[in-house]
Amino acid sequence: MKKICFLAAALCCGLALAQSPSNVTSSIVASANGFLSSLDEGQRSKALFDFNDAAQRVKWSNLPTTMVPRAGLKMGDLSEAQRKAAIGLVAATLSKRGYEKVLAIMEGDEALKTAGGARGATMFGRDLFYISILGKPSVKDPWMLQFGGHHLALNITIVGREGILTPSLTAAQPAKYTVDGRTVRPLGAENDKAFALINALDEGQRKQAILNYKVADLVLGPGQDGKTIQPEGIKASAMNASQQAMLLDLVGEWSGIIHEQAASARMAEIKVNLAATWFAWSGPTTNGMPAYYRIQGPTVVVEYAPQPLGGDPTNHIHTIYRDPTNDYGKKSAGH
Amino acid sequence: MNRLAVGVLFALSLSAHRLDEYLQATLIGVTPLGIEVAIQLTPGVAVLPAVTAVIDRDRDGRISAQEEHDYAARVTREVELRVDGEPAALSLMETTFPTLQAMREGLGTIRLKLRTTRTGHALRFENRHLPQVSAYLVNCLAAPDDGLAVKRQERDEGQRSIAFEYSFDAGVTPVPLAPWIARGPFWPAALGMLMVARMAVLIYRSKIARGA
Repeated sequence: MKKICFLAAALCCGLALAQSPSNVTSSIVASANGFLSSLDEGQRSKALFDFNDAAQRVKWSNLPTTMVPRAGLKMGDLSEAQRKAAIGLVAATLSKRGYEKVLAIMEGDEALKTAGGARGATMFGRDLFYISILGKPSVKDPWMLQFGGHHLALNITIVGREGILTPSLTAAQPAKYTVDGRTVRPLGAENDKAFALINALDEGQRKQAILNYKVADLVLGPGQDGKTIQPEGIKASAMNASQQAMLLDLVGEWSGIIHEQAASARMAEIKVNLAATWFAWSGPTTNGMPAYYRIQGPTVVVEYAPQPLGGDPTNHIHTIYRDPTNDYGKKSAGH
Repeated sequence: MNRLAVGVLFALSLSAHRLDEYLQATLIGVTPLGIEVAIQLTPGVAVLPAVTAVIDRDRDGRISAQEEHDYAARVTREVELRVDGEPAALSLMETTFPTLQAMREGLGTIRLKLRTTRTGHALRFENRHLPQVSAYLVNCLAAPDDGLAVKRQERDEGQRSIAFEYSFDAGVTPVPLAPWIARGPFWPAALGMLMVARMAVLIYRSKIARGA
């Protein structure tokens, strides 16, 4: 009996340790070191930057890497084992659904490459994504992982137990494609949950939420670090509990990209500020039509902007996710 | 990759950037000392000939410093800022021009910073520069440190203009309470202590009265 109790206690302790935040950071650091040790010296010097390298920190974009060059290591230049280690590191920092979203965006870019013939081959595809590390992977000191390319920019700052995903950009073109007969919509939930929310508002609430002007693009996209605009739309404090839950669920499509423990802390922070969070909409409210929306609170900014390029705007989406108080972990890391 | 059967439902264009519009994005910063207007102008490749025709006046395929200056001055003339209903002259503070090659690739952004020292309570901004080929964004920056409070912003459908009232009332920050006072249990505890003290006084008085 004593043996059983001991084993049960050990199992409980093991599970607790496995799920402890410090253990998640340890696991990410181990993945980062595994990736770095898979590289030769020349590759390592290309992948590593000083944590305070301000120029590298902001070197991300929605545009193809042939148009806006990224620094770091290109996926297409890595061996199969190195590539596996790189993707393994990205996966270690993300939740399952966040990782799946990233893969779906990369596969979408591969689809764009396939559809684009010779020109597409030079601009798009999963070989043209870059990875870089700012600082030294550590369970204690701040460091940063950058991964991205066309339509993807993940800026993940690790500060001890904290994981900060802002600013990050997710985008998709095509926004809908099929793989082996399965339909993939990398940003489908971001679209569908938003339309569900706007249609869950009553007429008076919709009047507050819907802006009477067109929004042609992201306002706080790449290159707009450190800026905060005046919020507009409807305040979450004017929503009922069910609508508020839908709003949080929608924000979760971005805050839930990072690993569960960081996502959980982030969502708790967003919940605390929920009453002061705004939801603004521009465009039709019928799902399937192109509509822009913005969620803006004291610690969160999300924008979703269909792009009038490439024909149908619903098939080309850009989104941005920011924390005006802690982009690049500036609050947590103190840089 | 042969597993990937691309079932793209709509015709795809390989354009990764804006093609047929001149995106003019304006951010307005209102401070107690004046108003700053930052305009970013990004021509799509399809409208570049129309834009360069305005900038490259001598058509030599290059943008000279004088042409940059003249173009920035033209944009400055074609935007209007009114403060409390009166025109507020904007001074050109800073310009940044990309290379023509960057603009040919749809990546070049012209950046202008304008400023006025006028202050007031109501602002209206309008951009009248190249409306035939342009898409506009215009927003007011938040400035909580200055206590800026902005009332409802009114724009036209295409975001060529914005108007709003503002004040700096929100800047009156109350003096923070000492942490030991601000902490929740302080006030109930203080109230309890007062009640105990009051009861002690009453008991003392009743004893005195009985003794007398």
